Amino acid sequence: MDAAIPGAEIRVEGGVASCLGAWTVDGLSGLDRRLERFPWPDVPELVLDGTAVGAMDTAGAWVLDGVARSLARSGRRLSLRLRPQDEALLDMVRKSAASGLPPGPPRSGLLSRLGSATVATGGRALGVLAFMGETAMAAAGGLARPRRIRWRQVLHDLQEAGFSALPIIGLLSFLMGLVIAYQGSLQLRRYGASIFVADLVGFAMLRELSPLLTAIIVAGRSGSAYAAQIGTMKVTEEVDALRTVGIPPLELLVLPKVAALVVALPLLTVYADVLGVAGGMVVASSELGVGAQDFLDRFVRAMRISDYLVGVGKAPVFAAIVAVTGCYQGFQVGGDAESVGRRTTVSVVQSVFAVIVVDAVFSVIFSRLGL
Amino acid sequence: MAEARATETGAATPLEIRDVHTRFGAAVVHHGVSLEVRRGEVFALAGASGCGKSTLLREVIMLHRPERGSIRVLGQEVTRLGGEAALSLLRRVGVMFERGALFGALTVAENVGVPLREHTHLAPRLVREIAALKVALAGLPGEAGAKYPAELSGGMRKRAALARALALDPELLFLDEPTAGLDPLSASGFDELVSHLRELLGLTVVVVSHDLDLLWRVADRVAFMVEGRVVGVGTMTELSRSENPLVREYFYGPRGRAAWEQAWKRK
Repeated sequence: MDAAIPGAEIRVEGGVASCLGAWTVDGLSGLDRRLERFPWPDVPELVLDGTAVGAMDTAGAWVLDGVARSLARSGRRLSLRLRPQDEALLDMVRKSAASGLPPGPPRSGLLSRLGSATVATGGRALGVLAFMGETAMAAAGGLARPRRIRWRQVLHDLQEAGFSALPIIGLLSFLMGLVIAYQGSLQLRRYGASIFVADLVGFAMLRELSPLLTAIIVAGRSGSAYAAQIGTMKVTEEVDALRTVGIPPLELLVLPKVAALVVALPLLTVYADVLGVAGGMVVASSELGVGAQDFLDRFVRAMRISDYLVGVGKAPVFAAIVAVTGCYQGFQVGGDAESVGRRTTVSVVQSVFAVIVVDAVFSVIFSRLGL
Repeated sequence: MAEARATETGAATPLEIRDVHTRFGAAVVHHGVSLEVRRGEVFALAGASGCGKSTLLREVIMLHRPERGSIRVLGQEVTRLGGEAALSLLRRVGVMFERGALFGALTVAENVGVPLREHTHLAPRLVREIAALKVALAGLPGEAGAKYPAELSGGMRKRAALARALALDPELLFLDEPTAGLDPLSASGFDELVSHLRELLGLTVVVVSHDLDLLWRVADRVAFMVEGRVVGVGTMTELSRSENPLVREYFYGPRGRAAWEQAWKRK
């Protein structure tokens, strides 16, 4: 709007400082930086003349008022002249300035930031622990009175988290088996040990990769959905509404999800085992010339039942981690919609992290036990 | 101040809407809306929910294009405006959205500073000072500037949104349902704030509202919309004498009557 008016300027002639140009948010940028070291004339009496400004807005009034105040502080006798229409603006600015501008945000030192981060992390860990406890108590209560378990909800979650995940888990574990067999085949062929491809694929998939892959996919698919669903319900106060109509949110929102995942994840792991091994068989026959019959013969001889159970046995633990983390993060959503997104992300990161750490712990325990 | 602005921009009619037609699919929202807002007045768009007033506001601030018709904001035709010209026009316009639309990741003061930082080359210190000034101007206590929108009450959030709308000293201020969701005391506080700012800054204010109290107290003129048409324009006193049954129904329903009596008592 002020393209025609040049930027704000102060011209000093004798004892008169004339304000010229646009004293607006657009026009001020040049002047503002020079004001700190402005060469004010060394006279006892100064007239600050604002009658010739091209335009003035609140920003301009603020800067002009600041100039007037700093000049007055320097001991000069100052008289300020303004256009009549700017008087009200100056008045308003002075009143706001009198009400006091807020101090800047407090700067915290390294130590205090470290301290508050530690306290926050500790609090979060305690929060997860408390939530696990509450869920366990609610689950115990549910087992004591099975009629209170919401079977319809459990079945619905079972379909969502289990059945609907079959295509993606099937495809990914098939590809995983394929890749392992392919990478292994390059080495095995060199030693003439092609038949051991069955051992390779079997051990890798059954013991480690199937449960891990399944848990990670479910964390991304269902754990995040749980966090988002509960989080959204918190934002819209549905969780509070549930409490007021006498339905404990844990019982309706958390228990069915935990129960459904604890059932679904082992089943999905078995399914992933089957398709992963099938993927390995495809490569074995195409790359190594090990037919399906030979592959399965070797597979049955090499695998023990414990290898299979070790993998499937980890799944319910992973399921509980994923479901509880997702729900917990959902309940941590506060106030605004933005935190739903943040908490959903956190739920995936934390549950994948926890699943891999727990898997490592399992590996150590199982190897100590000689399983 | 108001006269000074008029000479600066040369447009006596900051907002002029001519024969605007809008439809969403099969649903027709506007059947030829025409309006004129005069410089320096508080102009209100009233009407029942779903009559198309909020859509009209979105069209004026270039968030939606009407099917046909002409909308001139500060002398510029916005229905065909785009790019740089649209941006420079938008800086001269302040908008307060119904739910505030404050950026949740920023404090109130930072929210107010966003337009200043984006569009001017002022020093960061000055930006902070001007933002604090606008926060105070919107009637918020100084410490509110350091808070995040989620920590504010509904009324304070509206004031913070108003402070952001005022950041660049707009010539034209749009308020979408400024008092919706506020308690009566906060709402009347907001009414006063709008009148006060209009006098102080020489603003032209366009309010979309169905709050009858607000219409009586601050609006100079009111356009009353029913199902995509403007059925009456005038002061509240003129509208309340209208013969149009649709207008009468709105103003003389139980709540309309109460607001009307209140307004007369004040006079």
